[in-house]
Amino acid sequence: MKIVIAGAGAVGTHLAKMLSVGNENVVLLDESEEKLGKMESLFDLKAQVGLPTKISDLKSAGANDADLFVAVTPNESDNVTACILAHYLGAKKTVARIDNYEYLQPKNKAYFVSLGIDSLIYPEQLAAEEIATSIKYSWMRQFLEFGNGALVMVGVKVREGAPILGTLFKDFPGDTPYHIVAIQRGDETIIPRGNDAVEPDDLVCFMTVKEKIPYVRNMCGKSEFSEVRSLIIMGGSRIAVRTTKLIPDNIKVKIIESDLARCRKLLELVDDKVMIINGDARDPELLRSEGMEHTDAFIALSDNSETNILACLSAKRSGVYRTVAEVENIEYISMAENMDIGSVINKKKLAASNIFQMMLNTDVSSVKCLTFIQAVVVEFPVKEGAPITKKAVKELSLPAGANIGGLIRNGEGMHVTGNTVIQADDHVIVFCLEQVIKKLEKYFN
Amino acid sequence: MFHPKIISRILGLLLFIEAAFLLTSLAVAFYYHETIIDTYLYTLAAMVGTGAVLAYIGRGKERNISRKDGYIVVTFCWILFSLFGAIPYYLSGSLPSVTDAFFETMSGFSTTGASVVSNVEALPHSLLFWRSMTHWVGGLGIVFFTVAVFPVFGLGDINLFAAESVGPMRAKLHPRISVAARWILTIYIGLTIIATVSFYLAGMGKFDALCHAMSTVSTGGFSTKQASIATYNSPLIEYVVTLFMFLGGVNLSLLYLFFFKARFGDLLRDSEFRVYAGSVLLFTILITVGLFFTTPMGVEESFRTSLFQVVSIQTTTGFATSNYVLWQPILWLMISAVMFLGACSGSTSGAMKCVRISILGRVMFNEFKRILHPNAVIPVRMSGKIVPSSVQSAILAYTVIYVATVVVGVFVNMTFGLDFLDAYGLSVTSVGNVGPAFGHYGPMDSFSTLPALVKWFCSFQMLVGRLEFFAVLLLLMPAFWRRQ
Repeated sequence: MKIVIAGAGAVGTHLAKMLSVGNENVVLLDESEEKLGKMESLFDLKAQVGLPTKISDLKSAGANDADLFVAVTPNESDNVTACILAHYLGAKKTVARIDNYEYLQPKNKAYFVSLGIDSLIYPEQLAAEEIATSIKYSWMRQFLEFGNGALVMVGVKVREGAPILGTLFKDFPGDTPYHIVAIQRGDETIIPRGNDAVEPDDLVCFMTVKEKIPYVRNMCGKSEFSEVRSLIIMGGSRIAVRTTKLIPDNIKVKIIESDLARCRKLLELVDDKVMIINGDARDPELLRSEGMEHTDAFIALSDNSETNILACLSAKRSGVYRTVAEVENIEYISMAENMDIGSVINKKKLAASNIFQMMLNTDVSSVKCLTFIQAVVVEFPVKEGAPITKKAVKELSLPAGANIGGLIRNGEGMHVTGNTVIQADDHVIVFCLEQVIKKLEKYFN
Repeated sequence: MFHPKIISRILGLLLFIEAAFLLTSLAVAFYYHETIIDTYLYTLAAMVGTGAVLAYIGRGKERNISRKDGYIVVTFCWILFSLFGAIPYYLSGSLPSVTDAFFETMSGFSTTGASVVSNVEALPHSLLFWRSMTHWVGGLGIVFFTVAVFPVFGLGDINLFAAESVGPMRAKLHPRISVAARWILTIYIGLTIIATVSFYLAGMGKFDALCHAMSTVSTGGFSTKQASIATYNSPLIEYVVTLFMFLGGVNLSLLYLFFFKARFGDLLRDSEFRVYAGSVLLFTILITVGLFFTTPMGVEESFRTSLFQVVSIQTTTGFATSNYVLWQPILWLMISAVMFLGACSGSTSGAMKCVRISILGRVMFNEFKRILHPNAVIPVRMSGKIVPSSVQSAILAYTVIYVATVVVGVFVNMTFGLDFLDAYGLSVTSVGNVGPAFGHYGPMDSFSTLPALVKWFCSFQMLVGRLEFFAVLLLLMPAFWRRQ
């Protein structure tokens, strides 16, 4: 597949890396030679200096015969223009990164398609959605829904004393209402076999149906977690603004922002339920005077990943039981995970999972990313006569690093065992590492 | 920079327009075969003559009106209108003193409704009509009327508007001010016609219905009867008048959107309208309860009486169906609180206006919040929009000037021998363009017994109150007149 990425910012470079590792033909286009600098020597891709909004530069980057054109510069208008031009030149699919919630509304979709923009991504909105779910299900690390909620994936950090600990998987009773698709233990991702068991401090990914979530909660020993009623956000970023729009109205929110001009701007962007505090959220004195001890959740969204990690650590220390940090350096994520700072948000990964979705040919599949593991969860619709329907699951030789989590048949979630035979029109939820996603596709077509 | 020629020309043109308004009174005089037709002819001659002289002085090509010109034009046109508008009262012998005639006219144009006439029914029809006409013109604003009808002044219409318009923040209905003005005028005329028909159907005579409609929609308060609306002794009329007074207190732009664009939500979501409706409701309930327990009135009558007086005073109309001076002191004290509030900005009402009251309230509340959260950045919002701090401080300054003008009025009035209650009531009612005061000058009393100088000072207070202080008081600042 030939992919042109315009904009070598954080999202663009991450995407380029991911895709080049997955053996795609990637061209990275940016006007700044400096930004492109090392990319070409470190990764197997072509770096092209040029303006994403200039037709001749787009041509020389190969936008005219690209299968996928991704515009992820910081400037929304540039992205839109670049996509329109790339479509005009002949790119098959285009994606533009935007920064305006109105554009995402379904009624406007047809118009953007008519302009030649097939898909819009709004990483800040995705991040905010993720934060909002993590506030709603405060005992989880991650919550993903599939097939309109027919199946859910729940990521939980299991602590000492949880009932689930110690039992070998092969000894689980037959009617266990969940399926464990992966375990993250330290830096290692384990696809569990019969002789594995959950150990303390494992991050466990459960696949289950919605009604059984309370059961999973009990098994993980998380029953005592209470609902979040108050929230402090450090850093008045765009994610912070979107988050305030998505969380329930009964939660009291304070945003701490150090730049006074930004504070004034924030007042126009958020509702009256949000209080804006001007100050440095790393200052313990300030946090104490704003009632940090009585706050249920702390979300660190400053530009600086290190600051966010440290701020969450100190919030945990002053008794906040739920913390979320935005960590943009991918290398820090596992470290942050080991330091127990709660959920980690990464804009790049969220954007990348959206782009993966664009690369797949099937129309209705959805791809969701896991922050703490280099893995994605994909919902594949099964086509008539697809290879996967030919044999029982245990006889399929699925690629290593992929694990079927469940399937949705006629709108109902089901577990998959070795003997299950997948039928056409089922939706199969597959847990897989990012590199194998493209390989999996052929099983379903 | 001043442009004396332009100022003179505009003032001249405006006098022609006042003459046009006075022609309607002349028509009424003809209709009723009155004997004072020559009064109107002399007055018209004076207006047209002076207007022509002023226009002649101001002849020339200059068309650009500066901001300073705007303030001068607006202040002087209100004074000129009141001076010339007073001539019919004086010449006809109905009000044989210059002071009384001027007071009555200023009270009319500023939509105050305080009257020095001791026996209203004795006035000829044409003069009663002129009284209501002054209200009707003053309700929207003299300059406003003119710009809406003839947008001929030139390039600085907007500066004239700014000088006369009321309210701290104004959203434009239409990119062109003269078009917006015409829309507002449409709704104003529409309301007046509907009110006239409704009053007639509710039982008033044709002439009374028209005059009362003009006084109601403009939230003025002049009645064609000495006992005001109480004359009719009809609950139906009282409710209908209440409704139109209430509508007169609503922002006309919002009414326009409500009736012509069917944007009902805009009105209901508007913070100011909610404060207005809320305060009417609150005070009506309080006074209803008070009246029910302290007077022989029944529940319905208590409610109706309370609603009528509260709406009448809050919209600064000043009609009366009951003499609140005779109520328990706490009840008329509530009326005096309502007198400060006023209705919505962009309406025809006077006083503080709900938008300022509610912003003041929020600014005050925010001070408490700031003590608890010293680092918080706390906004003041109206209808979801942030009120810039410049507007907040302008409102604080407005409030100080408002209170100071009232206090100065109390001093002046007491200097001339009035007791405190009378002095206070007169001052508040004049500044707020309400009409009735307290003590000896309640809703059923005439102001004719006041000392002449008090009448002049009250007229001045009505003018500054109507033009919201800055336009008039600016002219008293030496810095305004300096050339550089």
